Amino acid sequence: MASDEDLVGRLVDGDELALRELLRRYERPLSHFIYRHTGGRDVEDLYQETWLRVVQHAARFDRSRRFSTWLFQIAVNLCRDWHRRRPPEPALLPDSAANDARPAVEARVDAMRLLSTLPEPQREVILLRYYQDLTEDEVAHILDCPKGTVKSRLHNTLARLAATVAGREQ
Amino acid sequence: MPMTHDNHRAQLNAHHADCTECQDAPLPLDRIATFLETAAPAIDAAALSRQTFAQLRPELQRRAMAVGWRRIAIGLLLSLLPLPLVLAYNVCFLRLMYGILSALLPGTLATYLVLSYGAFLVLLFATTYAAIPLLVVHRPFETPAAPA
Repeated sequence: MASDEDLVGRLVDGDELALRELLRRYERPLSHFIYRHTGGRDVEDLYQETWLRVVQHAARFDRSRRFSTWLFQIAVNLCRDWHRRRPPEPALLPDSAANDARPAVEARVDAMRLLSTLPEPQREVILLRYYQDLTEDEVAHILDCPKGTVKSRLHNTLARLAATVAGREQ
Repeated sequence: MPMTHDNHRAQLNAHHADCTECQDAPLPLDRIATFLETAAPAIDAAALSRQTFAQLRPELQRRAMAVGWRRIAIGLLLSLLPLPLVLAYNVCFLRLMYGILSALLPGTLATYLVLSYGAFLVLLFATTYAAIPLLVVHRPFETPAAPA
């Protein structure tokens, strides 16, 4: 099976199968990352823009690096730009959730809303470390900050989440 | 792969083991893991990918075409390099052939035979050079791409 890095190399030559395979591998983690980052708004645009940049800059990709790190770096930058352009608002109820069980939907929307209210640096470390399962080193590389900062942000975010969750339960 | 409560719990345990602040004031890791699991987006990622692929396809096709033309140009240039030598060799060969044939056969017949052979060679070269772009573009020794 071709590595992600090989597939990016083939994108430079316009290989459609390479793009299909990369999309298949990353569609779920990337779309979920963007969804959680923006609270479910403009996911489609940001998702497409991320891949557009991947295709446009594939020739400049350093193949000694991990593709996933590069991909999420692009996504993080786009999401930050998005937040700068539009202040975050609570997430809307997704259409596809209409048929789900009501309490589960409410809990999910509630959790999404809570995530979207976190300050950007805290939200990013949580999304990358706990949802994308990246290592602290990779998160530090993507966010361009020291590993110690990632650790302290994680702790602060977890403490904040613990307090919020406890507050909701009371 | 979707992250489950156990995955989140394992990640949080790893953080807890590594974080002095967490060890001093332990956090409710189970509740946090449950919260993290709850925040699962309801989104059709495959549909997003289909739209994205459709949007990026023209750009990929443009690139593939540019690469194809570059390959054709390089292939043609490389194959043209030995052409002068091949032509010179064949001209010498035709002259020698005409010399021998004209000594054995009537001049008209010798000329006809040499010209016929010359025409055959021209046709052979033309066919060979016409095939180069087709071979370069279709790359018959590579695995064909699956249909979209």
